[in-house]
Amino acid sequence: MYKYDHIDQTLVDQRVIQFRDQVERRLNGTIAEEEFRPLRLQNGLYHQRHAYMLRVAIPYGLLSAKQLRTLAFIADKYDRGYAHFTTRQNIQFNWVELEQTPDILAELAKVEMHAIQTSGNCIRNITSDAFAGVAADEYIDPRPICELLRQWSTLHPEFAHLPRKFKFAINGAKEDRTVLLCHDVGIELKKDPNINNGELTADIYAGGGMGRTPILGSLIKQGLPWQVLPSYLTALLRVYNRFGRRDNLYKARIKILVKSLGPEEFARQVEGEWAYLHNEAKQSKDNFTKYEWERVAKHFTKPAYQQLNTMSDEAIPAAATEAERGAFTRWLKRNVKSHQVPGYASVILSLKPHGTVAPGDATSAQMNAIADLADQYSFGELRVTHEQNLVLADVEQSKLLELWQAAKQQHVALPNIGLLTDIIACPGGDFCSLANAKSLPIAKAIQERFDDLDYLFDLGDISLNISGCINSCGHHHVGNIGVLGVDKDGEEWYQITLGGEQGNDASIGKVIGPSFYANEIPDVMTSLINVYVEQRTTDEPFIETYRRLGVSPFKEAAYKNNGKHSKGALA
Amino acid sequence: MNKQIIYFPKDGKPTLIINKWQVWDGERDAGGIPNLDHELHKVLVPFHWWITHHKNSDIIDRANKGEVGVWFAADDDILKHADIIEEGKNRWPVIAAHFPIFRDGRSFSTAALLRERFAWTGEVRAIGDVLIDQLLKGARVGFDAFELRPDQKLDIGLKQFDLISVTTQNSWRDQRATTVAQLVDR
Repeated sequence: MYKYDHIDQTLVDQRVIQFRDQVERRLNGTIAEEEFRPLRLQNGLYHQRHAYMLRVAIPYGLLSAKQLRTLAFIADKYDRGYAHFTTRQNIQFNWVELEQTPDILAELAKVEMHAIQTSGNCIRNITSDAFAGVAADEYIDPRPICELLRQWSTLHPEFAHLPRKFKFAINGAKEDRTVLLCHDVGIELKKDPNINNGELTADIYAGGGMGRTPILGSLIKQGLPWQVLPSYLTALLRVYNRFGRRDNLYKARIKILVKSLGPEEFARQVEGEWAYLHNEAKQSKDNFTKYEWERVAKHFTKPAYQQLNTMSDEAIPAAATEAERGAFTRWLKRNVKSHQVPGYASVILSLKPHGTVAPGDATSAQMNAIADLADQYSFGELRVTHEQNLVLADVEQSKLLELWQAAKQQHVALPNIGLLTDIIACPGGDFCSLANAKSLPIAKAIQERFDDLDYLFDLGDISLNISGCINSCGHHHVGNIGVLGVDKDGEEWYQITLGGEQGNDASIGKVIGPSFYANEIPDVMTSLINVYVEQRTTDEPFIETYRRLGVSPFKEAAYKNNGKHSKGALA
Repeated sequence: MNKQIIYFPKDGKPTLIINKWQVWDGERDAGGIPNLDHELHKVLVPFHWWITHHKNSDIIDRANKGEVGVWFAADDDILKHADIIEEGKNRWPVIAAHFPIFRDGRSFSTAALLRERFAWTGEVRAIGDVLIDQLLKGARVGFDAFELRPDQKLDIGLKQFDLISVTTQNSWRDQRATTVAQLVDR
């Protein structure tokens, strides 16, 4: 895991002092709220419906046990004893006081954390594969590049006031777990013997995004040597900074610029700018150096793995008692992933208990306990997933049973990873001042409706994403089933999309028709699922059945009760 | 106009200096630069105005006396007029880039382009809605003079530049600390 040197530490310490001064000037009235707003947002501080919310950066989702304990401490001391993990691999505290935020930042700085650029119209926290460095299907560990670009983007002066927010994702595995094409810039890392002497290169996708106009990114550059990423990305961002629309908030994302110019023309303009930045004289100064690579890459070496033999699929559950074996096997199937190193596995801890709290929430007690599990079973490290769960990446297969038993005590062992109840949801109208509708009660109602694990297991992989407004923080566009909260004449309604998908076959879901009342949604879900169950062929996942049948049968089923419901919210 | 501006030369320290340049918005244009209420007669004219008037003899006269500079609006595409800017490098003692509102970052890129691409070595002044918390970023991209919005406190402004002493990306002023460290280490 990356370890700060004096440069990183100086920067975050000074940033605390800088923000403390900005907060003081806000409190004594020398900065107006309107002018303070971008300053606090660049430091992850929102003003929500009820209180300030602080979003803390977890660069590419990597977290130490010590850091997690500090987050638990902050939740207890400065918040209400819990926090929320987000789809951008960040964590947010929902109930902080403006006056106390500099103190929170000072606590974070002590454990090499910060809240820099987790919000605002700047380059946001860079996300990557939660299984980076351990995934069996990985061909390049993306973390050194993630870290180099984290540093490059931190407090970047030219791009501090972009037209809108700007999000990078970086992937280096066969399966895309980063939703690469739904990012302003997606960086696909490769090693091809025919390019750059077999050294690391990057393919650049630009102009993807969700929001009210979901668009998948376009390939604009192939085989870019990793060393030139700073100059190429400077060129790309400079074109966006200069020509991205600023007249209309909803048309200000880079996806609109790329769409209106066309990806070829956008690429040509970036290339034109890059030609100036990438000439011989400047190259030596701007390029990432071997020294810098070594400086960061040395932190991403493998932990002290034992020499172990891979345990068979039968041997692992055999350790459980007969009474436990069924449940344990289910957990092994859904929550445990294969690993690069023999005898090890990666474990996903579910932050989606059925029918209780917001997806991605963890209490301080859970955070402390999970930190202990990380120390005990996974070299003191964890990861935050895009789906708002936590991962212990390096667990010995022989200790999975022990870990499962301990995780059950913390209510983070539900075997629902990738299933219908592993819901991605934004905080919605319960917290967010932008939301048109609530998301959390919808998630809760669906989890309560589909509480039977046998049934869920039988349904297999289905992604369900819920957003409380068109900004689509719950990424409903890429859910197999998406739910979007909409406002109609001051009332909360919910629109359903079908056919979205993340991963290598990323696609944007389609709206099936008029929206529903909140209390209709569980029935609508049941109807949609029933169509799948009736129509599927053996082993056909939901998304394949949908693609084969098209929207019609699903749409028909969803609206069969239309008009029979009285309008209403969920209890 | 402000009587004082913050001046922060590349290899110097930030100080307050007397403002000798008045920004003219190009309005009330009767064919030439109007008589502005300014003892030194030094005027920053809009770049778009310069494009259409710079061949006028009275403008050439005043420019030859070192009394005319230009300012770029946030939406001026300076690369489209590269030839005029190249020519202007010998004529303008000062150029400026305008912030229509503090959160519009286009002029950061304008300043970077003027320094990097046009190799402009003279003063680049930030004008318009320039607030204290933009100063450090501005100083890094290529600005070396700042006419702050009149309500901003200059003494607080002067203290902004050394708040963050390390950089992790190259800028006009500094090479990133992560490569400078290499020279120290080796």
